[in-house]
This record gives sequence, C-alpha cells and structure tokens, in this order.
Amino acid sequence: MRRRLSIVTWMLLPCLVVAAEPDAGSLIAGLAREAPARTAYTEVRFAQMLDRPLIVRGELAYLGPGSLGKRVDTPYKEEVTIADGQVSVQRGSRQPRQISLGQVPELDGFLRGFGALLGGDAQALARDFEIQTRGDASRWHLSLVPKDARLKRRVASIEVDGAADSARCFSVIDADGDANIMLVEAMAAIELPKPLTRRNLEIVCAGTAAK
Amino acid sequence: MNARKLALLIAWIAVLAVLALVVQRTLRVGSDLRSFMPPAQTADQKLLMEQIGEGPGSRMLLLAISAVDDAQAAGLSRALASALRADAHFTQVANGSFDDGILDDALLPYRFLLTPSFDEHALDATVLADELAERIEDLGSPAATLLKPLLPRDPTLEVMKLAEHWSPPRPPLVREGVWFSPAGEALLLVQTRAAGFDPDAQGTAISALEAAFDQVREDSADAQLAISGPGYFSVVVSGKTRAEAQWLGHLSTIGFIVLLLLAYRSIVVLGLAALPIVSGGLAGIAAIALAYSEVHGITLAFGFTLLGVAQEYPIRVLSHRRAGETALQSVRALWPLLLTAIASACIAYLAFFASGVTGLQQLAVFTIVGLLVAGWSTRHLLPRVLPERFRDSADTPGLERAWHFLDTLPRPRWLPPLLGVLAAVMLWWAPTPFWQNNLAALTPVPADLLEREGRLRAALGAPDVRYLIVLQADSADGVLALSERIVPAIDVLIAQGAVDNVELPSRYLPSLDTQRRRQAALPDRDALEAMLDGALTDLPFRAGLFEPFVEDVQNARTLPLLTPAMFADSPLGARLQAMLVERNGQWLGLGTLIGVHDAQAFEALATLTNGGVRLLDLKGASESLVAAYRERILHAFVIAIVLLVATVFIAFRDWRRAWHVLAPMTLATILVLAVLRVSGVSLSLFHLVALTLAAGLGLHYALFFERIAADAAEARRTLHATLVCVISALLVFALLAWSTLPVLRAIGLTVSLGVGFHFCLSILMARETRAR
Repeated sequence: MRRRLSIVTWMLLPCLVVAAEPDAGSLIAGLAREAPARTAYTEVRFAQMLDRPLIVRGELAYLGPGSLGKRVDTPYKEEVTIADGQVSVQRGSRQPRQISLGQVPELDGFLRGFGALLGGDAQALARDFEIQTRGDASRWHLSLVPKDARLKRRVASIEVDGAADSARCFSVIDADGDANIMLVEAMAAIELPKPLTRRNLEIVCAGTAAK
Repeated sequence: MNARKLALLIAWIAVLAVLALVVQRTLRVGSDLRSFMPPAQTADQKLLMEQIGEGPGSRMLLLAISAVDDAQAAGLSRALASALRADAHFTQVANGSFDDGILDDALLPYRFLLTPSFDEHALDATVLADELAERIEDLGSPAATLLKPLLPRDPTLEVMKLAEHWSPPRPPLVREGVWFSPAGEALLLVQTRAAGFDPDAQGTAISALEAAFDQVREDSADAQLAISGPGYFSVVVSGKTRAEAQWLGHLSTIGFIVLLLLAYRSIVVLGLAALPIVSGGLAGIAAIALAYSEVHGITLAFGFTLLGVAQEYPIRVLSHRRAGETALQSVRALWPLLLTAIASACIAYLAFFASGVTGLQQLAVFTIVGLLVAGWSTRHLLPRVLPERFRDSADTPGLERAWHFLDTLPRPRWLPPLLGVLAAVMLWWAPTPFWQNNLAALTPVPADLLEREGRLRAALGAPDVRYLIVLQADSADGVLALSERIVPAIDVLIAQGAVDNVELPSRYLPSLDTQRRRQAALPDRDALEAMLDGALTDLPFRAGLFEPFVEDVQNARTLPLLTPAMFADSPLGARLQAMLVERNGQWLGLGTLIGVHDAQAFEALATLTNGGVRLLDLKGASESLVAAYRERILHAFVIAIVLLVATVFIAFRDWRRAWHVLAPMTLATILVLAVLRVSGVSLSLFHLVALTLAAGLGLHYALFFERIAADAAEARRTLHATLVCVISALLVFALLAWSTLPVLRAIGLTVSLGVGFHFCLSILMARETRAR
C-alpha cells in the first residue's frame, strides 16, 4: 500500500511544484486509493472533559466509496464499520449497535467528508466543505470547513497534514475547541512528544520544515 | 288584486319575515358528523364513538412534503414542524428529528424514575464504572461530538436510552434526520386540538396548516404538501357535499321555475305557489331551533329535500281549479285527499323519530312541522291570495292527447303479479350483501385519498386502526400498574407471533409503585460520590465534571412522584394523555397494536386479568353498531307502514279503494329495491330515507289517480297536476343521481327510480276500478 500511495504522490508532484500553493483538486484526487487500503493509526484526543489526553491505537481501513472501517486495539477493543448509510459499533463481545446515518445528519456529513477524502473525491468534498490549502509539495496542509450550518455547530474543521510521499495526520477540530488528532501511515509508529500537548503534536504533524 | 287579498298577503309575508329573523338569531348550525351516526349501546360501541370523535387516531393528520430533493424536503419538514409547534391548533408535531429535549429541564431528574435501566442491577459502583468506561469509548467514536454536551449531567446517557425506549415501535425510514416515505416525501405526524369529526374546527386547523406551509415554503415553489387523515377527510367530504349540493340545487331550482312557468304561465302564481313551502321550511327550522340547542347542517339539507313533497300541495290547488270556481272552493273539494296525503307523509317521517339518532330525530321534527304548516297554509292562506283570473289547466295544449294515450294503454291484470315475481327473483339473485355494514360508508371518502392514506400510514408504521387494547382500573395509576403487570404476557404474545408490537401506557409513565421502588434504590450523595471516585481513578475524566449528575440523582431521590397530570406538559405528555381516558369514575387505558395476526390469542389475557384487559375490535364494534341501528330503523319502518295503511283505510273506509292506493305503492317500492339490489347496491341509511320519500310521493299519485273524476276535464286536471309533480321531482332527484358523492347519488337514484315506478304503477293499477 505504501508503494501505491507513493506512486500517486509522484504523479502529483508536477502540479505541486508548479503552483506556489498546491492545487486542492489534484491534491485530494491524489489521495485516492484502491480499496481496501489499511493503515495503522495513533489517535490523541484532547478534550476539556478529560484532564489528560486519551490515546487510542488501532487500524483504519478504506473499504471503497462510502465505506470505512476503524478498529481500536488499545486501550479497549472496538470495531466501527460504516457502509450504506449504516454505522455499526461493536465493543468487546457485546451485540453490535446499529445507527442509521439518516437519523444523525451531522454525523453523516462528517463521515461523508472523511470518506470523500480517503476516496480522493475532490468534487464530493467541495460540495460539503470549503477547502483551503497551504504549504508546498514536500509538506502540505489541507483545511476543510463544513458548509452545512448544523455540522458547523459541531465540527469547526477537518485538517489534513501530508508529506511528499504520504498523508501524516488527520485532525478533527470540534466547535467547542476539543481536538482529535490521528496520526497515520508512518506517523502512527512514532514516539509521541513529551509533554503530550496539542501544540506539540501539531508541530509533529506539520513536520520540522513547517512554518 | 283586491285590498283584503293584498292585506292578507302582506301579513303572511310579514309573519314569514319575523320568523326568518327569529330563526336567524337562534339557530346554531353544528357540524359534528357523529350526530348522524347510530346511538351507541354497548361499552365497546360507546368507546368506539368517543374514539371516532376525540380519540388520538381521529385527531391525527399525516403530512407528506415532496420537493426537488431530500435536503429541501427535510429542511421544509423541520421549518414546518417548528412553525406548527408554536401554533395553538396543534397539540403534537413529530417529524422524526432527533430531539434531545425529550424531557424538559424541570423533568430531567425524573429520568431515574422513568428508566427501566437500573431495575435488574441497581446503580452501584460496578454499573457506574462500566458506564463511565463506555463514555470514554464514546468520546473516541464518531458520535463523540453529539454526546459531549450531555455527559456532565447524564453520564449514563439515560435520556438517550429513554428516547430509544419511547421511539415508535416500528420506526419509519429516516433520511436527512427526518422521516421519509419510500416515495421520497418528508413525513410529519400532527395532532389537532379539534375533534376529528368536527369539519368546521378541522377546517380552521387545516387552513392554519396550509398557511404555515406557504410561509415556510417561500420561494421553493416546487414543494408540495399533501394532507391525509380522518379530520382532513371530514373537511373534504363536507366541503364537497356542500358545494355539489348547492350547485345541483341551483340547477334544479331554475328547472323547477321554468317548469312552473310553462305549466301555469304566470309569474305571480309562481311566486304565490312558493309561499306554502317557504312557510313550512321556516316553521320547521324554528321548531328544531326551539327543541334542540343546535341543528346539524345535514339535517337542513336533507330536510329541504324531504320537504319537497309539500310542493305538491300548491300544485294540486293550481292544477285542479276549474272554470267558474273560486280557489277556495276547489281547495275544499281537494282537502280530504290532501289531508290523507299530508297525514300519511307525516306518519312515514315519524319513523325517523323512532330511530333514536339525534340527526334523524331533528329531521323528523323539521319535516313533520314543515309538512303540517305547508298543508295548513295551502288550505287556508293560499286560496285567499290567489288572483281571480287563471288558466284552466284542463285546456293545456297536448294534455288531451296525452290523456287519451294513457287511458287507452292496455292494463293486463297479470302484469302486477308478474312484476312482483320478477322483483322477488331479482332480490334473490342480487350479487352483493343486502346491507352496507361499513360505518365509513355513511361518510364516504374518495378512493384516491384513501389510497394515499394507506400508503402514508404504512410508511410511518402507524398502528393498526382496527384493534385497540383496553385496560380498565379504578384510577389512572391503577391502569399504569395493570399495564406494567401484563408486559410479560404481551412479550409472550409477540414471541408467539400473535402481534408484531404493542404500545402500552406504562411505556411512557411507570406506575407510582414502580417509581417509588426506583427512587428507593438510588444511592445517596455520599455513596454516589464514593462510587464516582472509585470509577474515576483509572479514567481521565476531569475531577468534578459529574457534579450536575450527582445533583440530579439527589433531586430524584426526593422528588414528588410523577403523575399523568404532571407528565402532560412534557413533549410526550399528549401521547400519554390520549392513552388514558376517564369515564364514569373508571379509568381506561388505550394501548395501540401493530400488526395483529391472531386476535384470538388475546383472550387468554382477558382471563388472566379477570376482564381488566381486553382487545377491542373497532371494526366489529362499528359493524355491530350499524347492524343494531338498522334493526331499530327497520322496526320503526314496520310501525310506520302499519300506521300508514291504517290512515289510508280510515280515510277511505273502503278495503277495495285502500287496496288500489296501497298496492301500486308497495309494488313500486319493492321494484325500486329489486333494481338497486340487482345493480349491486348494498343498502344504507340514505337508501332508506330515499325510499320513504319516494313512497310518500307515490302515495300522492295513487291517491289522486284513484279518485273518480267527475268528468273528462277533471281527469285531465289530475293528469296535469301529477305530471307537473312527477317532472319536478324527477328534475331535482335525477340531477342528484349524477352527483359524484355516494350519499347524494344514493338519494337521487333511489327517488328518481321510485318516482318513475310509482307513477307508472299508479296509472296501471290505481285506476282499474274506473268505469270505462
């Protein structure tokens, strides 16, 4: 999978080099993968309710258009599958819980955005989000701000950091300032900065060359 | 016109004007269709009538919004729902959107008394630690953003659990956060404050609904709102009936005026001939206004139809007047016969009084008073104001030839018995059930609306309309306790497949006992704080985060228990209120059922609870109601027939003559029945009303034809009068027969057929005795 990703980024390079700011359309298109594509992740959740960040590790899977999977291995076991507008949450050995995305339109918009991002569907993404890019070919940053007013009340933005040859971090910034930062690909295995603060982690995501 | 005549005429019109004023002041027209439904006898039937009028089912409107795409339809659904929630015409509005305001702030601590979550395992350290660990997992899940605001006050997510517990047993399709039909319309359920069968009040509510939608719709002109439900139907049906009856009424009035002008060639006579029936009508209305506080709109409409018989009286006076005779003299000669006609018609209408249905009793009062006054004014007032000059109707061109034609028609003696046998055979072979047992046929709804209702109902997973589960106890709390007690038995029925789901009152509010038990099991502040401290040692939750939760649990321990009256203010209060009914000091709980497959299986439940719980079959109750009703009307008719026959015998004091009048009338009535039955019509109340009216008209024809005419000119006058009557009746009722509404069609068709048969058979049979 690493190889496939690298090829995609290689194909992207010319446009990234030409434009001072990378072109969002081709950048996102470049993220397209052939399903199923899997990556390990480390997720750090900073929340006002928690007096220390919550660290969760597992595997993220892109299973095709509109279909995602997220497995939690530590500190607890959970498997979330999203397909055909249904979210299924299985914890431990309990009965899986089903949520219809139609019932929670905010969640639907959010997950649609995530799916479009992983599927490289720039058009779909542009329908639901305002897209801004910065950085250059070797270090780029995408910022997605939801257009839907109801989703906006919950989620302020989705931020994506990428390096020349791979996506590095997906960050979800909640409207109340909480942040969920997910390190993927090679970044999943790095040692987390100490002290583990949001600022420190953001610097890690942006990479040393970032402004 | 001399001075005395003019004075009398002015006095008559003045009296009518005063009467009209009084009527206009006192008359209150009602529109509750139930006053035209049969009186309830059994407890089930009474419940049925209550449910039809005020029950939650009848006050429910189903709305479907279609728009260019789902997002627009969902947006309109939300906007309309919030507009309607602010509107006093509606008590409940649901569109499927997730509502964390399911309990308002004041009721929120009650969640610990409402929830069954801690019944098996009390809220202790283990349960709390499990719940909190799960909240940590929730914070990492995609739903975190939705749950976060709830956590400090409700870490066990009791509100979410209650919302799930209270969600409809068979939830409809949800898209864009609101209910959708498979056809792509956004769906809403709205409950009106007005009773379902009060078309006027429902009409106001529906206008408010449409205005709200227009406001919400703004510039999205493609969006459409479709309304369905019993209340909407009653508005559509009564509006359509009114419009069509008015239109047909205007048309037949014009025809009637033209006919009278042709027959009597005088506008003055036409105006004067209208006076007796106007007098009768006004007197009739005044009588009901005095006897009843409110008169039903349908009573007035039907009343004027039935009063049409009275138009014959002035026509007889005008047609039978001969040269050289004053109008008063000719009326005196006619009076015995007219009196017989009036008396017999009154007796026939008396049958309606015996029916026991308020609407029909009003109808009887109206027509009987109307006929008597119309008859009396024809006898005593009309002749005194008619002009001296008139045209002898015997000289009408063409009448001589018509008379000759009818006189020389062959009258085979075997024809009436043959017709009788034929009618009997037709009645025997008729393809459909004799009686229309469907209560809905009394207030018919267009088929396309019913089809849409069925589709929306299925999409919303709305409960079965045929069955209700009825729980009876001494108090509202008794009903709730009983409801809790039968839950295990109901679960067995669901497992057996007897029913898909049952919605009981205790689903929304537990009994006081259960609440007390839950209250006692809640930990006190110290115990709860100790539990929290224990659970939080391994979890990263901020210290003091759950203080609002601790507060709520402490409140819940000392709260006064929740009663239905207190619960009424909550968003689901209206739903519970609709399920609890007080009647005669007893409380009834009404549970709805979804997908009943085996109604017999519920009998065990009745035995188990000593009859405290039973299944109510609304269809069965309504059919038994209609059947019982019909029986009463039939009894009344039998009595009316006996009285009618007696009247005719007393008037004639001659068996042979009475037979000649009654035989054609009876045979014609049987023939009408046979023709209706053979063309597949099942009889309803309206057919019976129409048959009575036709029989009343037929009796007139037979009475006058049977009369031995003094000379050929008098015979021609009889024919003239009868022809004018027959044509005018056909004009009115044949028009009604073309109506698109089953009620008007039933009356129009039956009376038209009846007038035709009665006329032909009267000519054929009544005049047999005449010397040739």
